[in-house]
Amino acid sequence: MRDMILPALERSRADYTDIRVERRWRTVVAYEGPELDTLSTSTEVGGIVRCLVGGGWGVAVFNSLDRLPERVQDAERIARLAAAEVEEPITLAAVAPVQDEVRVELARDPRQVPLQEKQSLIEAYNKILLGHSDKIVTTQTYYNDTFSEVWFANSEGALILEERPDVQLLFGPTAREGDNVQNPYESTGGAAGFDVALGHEALAEKAARRAVELLQARPAKGGVYTVVLDNQLTGVFIHEAFGHLCEADFLAKNPEMRDILRLGRVFGPPALNVLDEGYVAKSRGNYKYDDEGTPRRQAYLIRNGVLEGFLHSRETAGRMGMVPTGNARAISYRFEPIVRMRNTYVGQGNVPFEEMIRDIDYGIYACGAVGGNTALEQFTFSADHAYEIVDGQVGGMLRDVVLAGNIFETLRNIEAIGDDMQVINSAGGCGKGGQMGLPVTDGGPHLRIRDVTVGGRAQ
Amino acid sequence: MKGQLSADDLLRKLPPQVEAGEVYEVHSLETPVQFAAGTLESIKSVETAGRALRVIQQGRLGFATTSDLADDTLLLQSALGAAEFGGPAPFSFPDQQPPAAVQCFDAAVEQLSESEMIALGKEAIATIQAAYPNVQVFCDIHKVITDIRIRNTSGLAVESRRTHLSVEVAAQRTQEGDILFLGDEISSRQRKDVDIGPLTAYIVERLGQVERPARATPGAMPIVFHRNALAALFLPLMFGLNGRYVLQGASPLGDKLGQPACAPGFELIDDPRLDFAPSAAPYDDEGVPTCRKALIQGGVVQQFLYDLRTAGQAGTQSTGNGFKGGLFGGGWSTSPDIVPGTWIVPPGEKSLEQILTAFDEVLLVEDILGLGQGNTMAGEFSNNVALGFLVRRGEIVGRVKNTMIAGNVYALLRDNLIAVADQPQQVYGWLQIPAIALDGVSVAC
Repeated sequence: MRDMILPALERSRADYTDIRVERRWRTVVAYEGPELDTLSTSTEVGGIVRCLVGGGWGVAVFNSLDRLPERVQDAERIARLAAAEVEEPITLAAVAPVQDEVRVELARDPRQVPLQEKQSLIEAYNKILLGHSDKIVTTQTYYNDTFSEVWFANSEGALILEERPDVQLLFGPTAREGDNVQNPYESTGGAAGFDVALGHEALAEKAARRAVELLQARPAKGGVYTVVLDNQLTGVFIHEAFGHLCEADFLAKNPEMRDILRLGRVFGPPALNVLDEGYVAKSRGNYKYDDEGTPRRQAYLIRNGVLEGFLHSRETAGRMGMVPTGNARAISYRFEPIVRMRNTYVGQGNVPFEEMIRDIDYGIYACGAVGGNTALEQFTFSADHAYEIVDGQVGGMLRDVVLAGNIFETLRNIEAIGDDMQVINSAGGCGKGGQMGLPVTDGGPHLRIRDVTVGGRAQ
Repeated sequence: MKGQLSADDLLRKLPPQVEAGEVYEVHSLETPVQFAAGTLESIKSVETAGRALRVIQQGRLGFATTSDLADDTLLLQSALGAAEFGGPAPFSFPDQQPPAAVQCFDAAVEQLSESEMIALGKEAIATIQAAYPNVQVFCDIHKVITDIRIRNTSGLAVESRRTHLSVEVAAQRTQEGDILFLGDEISSRQRKDVDIGPLTAYIVERLGQVERPARATPGAMPIVFHRNALAALFLPLMFGLNGRYVLQGASPLGDKLGQPACAPGFELIDDPRLDFAPSAAPYDDEGVPTCRKALIQGGVVQQFLYDLRTAGQAGTQSTGNGFKGGLFGGGWSTSPDIVPGTWIVPPGEKSLEQILTAFDEVLLVEDILGLGQGNTMAGEFSNNVALGFLVRRGEIVGRVKNTMIAGNVYALLRDNLIAVADQPQQVYGWLQIPAIALDGVSVAC
């Protein structure tokens, strides 16, 4: 690969050029109900060239490696078109070029595991879901493994090969009684080998049990509540509501936003810490170098309640005069790297769960996350299931709990931070700018927040 | 270099134990031009080439894809390997049928140059900033030319060239305590449909109406769903009318075929043959001709959507809705799945203004956050209002924030449908649906 990439780089007359070529192997096994829905394998090869000319980007994507020299020319040509329009030329913050080869050691490389073994495993999990109760009408049991070999080289002398494994496993049973349909899910995953998918019978059982339990749950009543978030929902909350806001591409060209997000400004209680990092053992958000060849480094977003930093690419760091944090990521060779999160979490607090709920007369304990969505200061996220908190005790189960609010008010309204920090690997991914399903993790301890708007039926 | 076989040669190379095979090939050229905060951010040229192979062997389905077109041996081995343990394939690949009569290609899109795309973006930005210099404008212009070829062992050989052009414009106004992001998009397979005038005029109009805050009264109230907010109502129906979820017993509409499920006047049509619509196609991705059909007529459920495999399992015919990329994208490397064409609700009699004026107090919701995050299968939606206005007797009182709306689509369309407006609106390139007024929607704030 090196013999193909380096000569192509040399031909570019752009101010800066990088080439990323990826080969990926993928297997999907999915059951829906009793049927094997998908059993597919794919191999993909492709690459992307970025040229910076006069402070403007030109980007070219290709599948056929034979076309690499022409695609470099094409990227350079459109960069010149872009340069003619540029008002504030892009400059990249300096990163020392690295030559490295990052090979992973996997107990079981998914590429070597026979297809039949994967299929049998997923079939067995699916049977657990289906067999739990006759109220389970259908299921979605999904397994995906991806192994990527990513080559990165730039005109500054960087040359990196990094292997990135990723395994996802998801259990989604659907329980039904008349018009009442409930489909919660449980999932797991890891930047690891096939082993990550083994031994999750209890997780499958848990998902099925909850689907049936949710049939009896009451819909939440819309209103404003004191809410306690479990570890997973804390993670989704901090990722959606605050993490995205700290991605510097939202800030770099927006002076008003930079004024609001002033470093040193107090955003939460003194016990609040928010971090994003490139390595948490076996986590799906892991990698050694980002897709611009920048080594990972830990980024504190909030330390002791105070805004401390942002997540950067070389471009945003260059524009804002800061240090790249290694957060420039692309979901595949089809996309240029943009500022993304990795493993994002709220740091450990010191309030035990029982103490956290003890003085709540009526509140909501929201658990698990179906998803989240953010539009700058406004956010919303959906709990997989929830419970009432009545007179300091966890009570009956609630369903259809969707929480929303304004991030700045909500961070200020954090009343307690738990002592049970946990980073969670789920099968879900993050979407931004048309790049969906990026492997990330998030997590944290339980959080208690006052005055959270919960959507739901009025009656 | 390994040799590359043509699709026909690849099919001829299938071993004798293979009962049927299908090769799907795509080649596309995309040009995305992106403006951020009023200035050009990047220009991109994306070339995609890929091939998918489906085989049926002893009644089992095998599927494999590759973008490494030189490696047909691996593709063939992978598909055959998958067929050994694959799921049942109770269908045959179709033979050649006449294509649906629909226009999908416009030379004016193909010829649109990067410089013209840049000019389009600059025009959108200039129009908005002339009215509101303090907002930042974002604009994405995306042009695609796609060639699709399908060959199968039943003798089918179809090819289709399609163009697509979309423009997405958004304005962001940032101030302490109030960050507003307001945008919309327009897309078509035809250049002349992509008129940015109405799009920028809408954004300019709304920017003038967002200053004054208003608060709705918590409880149940009438809501007019308009523009992107309409997706909250139709996403659950996309699941409910999907033949697969009907077959699995998960769809709340599954046992309602031929029975009333919505208000008597309600009609919903699936039309993948609307000329130049973003999802228009003469054939689906399995080579079945597409067709226009009523899904709900007079409030009665008429038809569910099927691809070949689900139709085979359900003992019915494919409706020509087997498309690559599933409900939420995924592209050529995924198996065909049930995907709707353009969804149309025929326009009603009254204008949006007339509908709004009839209410003492109503919420006009034009954009939402958290689409698809509730219990969509059950028809539940619960969304944060991203752009919404409190309207009294037709007058906008102000913009609502920190407001959640919630309800069950099936119950609301059955019992609480008040009116459908007279002007269809394109939503996410998928819906052609006018504003819809529903009573008794829950509001929390």
